[in-house]
Amino acid sequence: MEIIVCIKPVLDPDMPPAKFSVDSKTNRVIPPEGMPLVINPYDALAVEAALKIKEAKGGKITAVTLAGSFATEILRKAVAMGADEAININDPAFEDSDTFSTAFILAEVVKKIGKYDLVLCGRQAADWDNGVVGSVIAEYLNIPSVIRAKGIVVTNGKLRVERVVANGFEIYEMGLPAVVTLSSEMGQARIPTGWGIINAVKKKIPVWTCSDLGLDPVRVGKTAARNSLVKLYTFSPSRSCEMITGKDDKEAAGKLAEKIMDIKP
Amino acid sequence: MDFRLSEEQEMIRNMTRKFVDEVVASRAEEGEATGEYPYDIIKQMADLGMMGIPFPQEYGGSGGDWLGMHICIEEMSRGDTTLGGLLDVTTSVVAQELYVFGTEEQRQKWLIPMARGKTIGAFGLTEPGAGSDAGATKTTAVRDGGSWVINGTKQFITNIGLDNASLVIITARTKAQKPGEKEQINTFIVPKGTPGFSLGKKYDKMAWRHSATHECIFEDCRIPVSNFLGKEGRGFAQHLAVLETGRISVAAIAVGLMQACLEASLKYAKERVQFGQPIINFQAISFKLADMAMATELARNMYLKAAWLKDNRLPHTLEAAYAKLYASEMCEKAASDAYQIHGGYGFMNEYAVSRYYRHAKILQIVEGTSEVQRLVISRNLK
Repeated sequence: MEIIVCIKPVLDPDMPPAKFSVDSKTNRVIPPEGMPLVINPYDALAVEAALKIKEAKGGKITAVTLAGSFATEILRKAVAMGADEAININDPAFEDSDTFSTAFILAEVVKKIGKYDLVLCGRQAADWDNGVVGSVIAEYLNIPSVIRAKGIVVTNGKLRVERVVANGFEIYEMGLPAVVTLSSEMGQARIPTGWGIINAVKKKIPVWTCSDLGLDPVRVGKTAARNSLVKLYTFSPSRSCEMITGKDDKEAAGKLAEKIMDIKP
Repeated sequence: MDFRLSEEQEMIRNMTRKFVDEVVASRAEEGEATGEYPYDIIKQMADLGMMGIPFPQEYGGSGGDWLGMHICIEEMSRGDTTLGGLLDVTTSVVAQELYVFGTEEQRQKWLIPMARGKTIGAFGLTEPGAGSDAGATKTTAVRDGGSWVINGTKQFITNIGLDNASLVIITARTKAQKPGEKEQINTFIVPKGTPGFSLGKKYDKMAWRHSATHECIFEDCRIPVSNFLGKEGRGFAQHLAVLETGRISVAAIAVGLMQACLEASLKYAKERVQFGQPIINFQAISFKLADMAMATELARNMYLKAAWLKDNRLPHTLEAAYAKLYASEMCEKAASDAYQIHGGYGFMNEYAVSRYYRHAKILQIVEGTSEVQRLVISRNLK
């Protein structure tokens, strides 16, 4: 099994909310000082799923990221977990790519790698939560895809995927190659081992640029973006407190119930 | 000068921190209450490669360095100093002694499984009559044909009670082999299960209650001559050499515990309201926190420096003593202040600071008491 896993660095979801700030002039998040970006938790699950398949079936895992800053850090994390190879897709031309051009570039990366049975992604990135890239990669590659998987098994060259739905899960069977995106219901991603870390740090990680992929810069980055960010700001909810009183608890409770029923959803 | 950690060391810190937050920290109290050894956690530590970080991969290690090892020990101790103590003994002391002084055969047989964490090592220096005066060892080893016959008692031996403890490395007196030779102290590998080697009952301790500490009793315990470790007459020096690393390890344990004190106190001081405001607003509390934060960082810098010197094969006797002495004494102060900040709640076992306070004291004793560290430092000044 040749597996390609697409990963992305995101702000650490465990960071204190007070550290989060945006620059409304440039519509960008200001990276908090001293808080390195981490591998998107859903993508870490994609690496975990790849490792489980490799443990069962053998094969090779290649982690790729189209990240800019913190690319090598998160690629090393994937290698420390057990990925065999890592590729850093990096070019100034890729800056400000939207989800569609990101998926386009990643699909081109998959084509350049050439040999693959499975492309795995997280169900969405924990920063923008779009959840588009995996499916669009499949579109560009013209192969089947299943999103929000909680389990994947490969048997007799076929893929069996459990897909999370609102009140349970559905089971899909399909041929290879395919794209699958992983959901948090899958469980937990493993912690890298000491051996893995030392190997990861020694690993040479190649950089592939726009010209390495043979792409026209017009088709990527800002010029190719189909959507644009109009306004980025932090939402500050206003709160007010009203004390409900009555001549006794019963009356107060009655008034409270009326208040609740009056609230428009 | 460059004070930044390498990428590898950063990753080791992150790995251990995550493991501690997810698995270790929430179990420390239970271990302390029941005294049961956390075999599942020890197995996970082994799977993560923690016991072998500083050793080459061909000897079962990760091929990392001692600095990385000590970062791992610090982070583990932030969750549970007992497990920091386990790593100190099995990796910094026992596995290192096998690696540095062992023959190729001994490394293959004993070091590889220990570096992989499949087996755990124990270290036997202390005796009922030989504590700080470790040279007063009474245990004897007598050569008899192809064997050494050991008699004596070692006490307070950490890790030896674990099911997967494979051996204890001990010092013992040997009589002169030829006329004109002096009596020597030598080092021997005694595998667990050797006839004549038995364990006394588990000690009832104030803290580290889930550390497998027992007395080791040797009664005509016969081991093959191939279990002689290192050079003749150098046993005591070999033990002291690896204890130098043990001192860096105890400093790292103390820093981990101080960090835990700081985090718990900071959290509590922000939440606890008295006189209409969080108590962190009172200088009496915030100055304690400032001192604690400063001492933690200074102690951390000192153990990192000592470990860096070791990795660069530079002398570090003095730095290891500074690190151990400063970190353990400041740790006791930090634990006491953390307790004070928590007030009456600090006395309750449901608050971790109660455990921190009990754990801090032993760090001024193990791997050379504070007094021995001062002796080492003052002798080096002369």
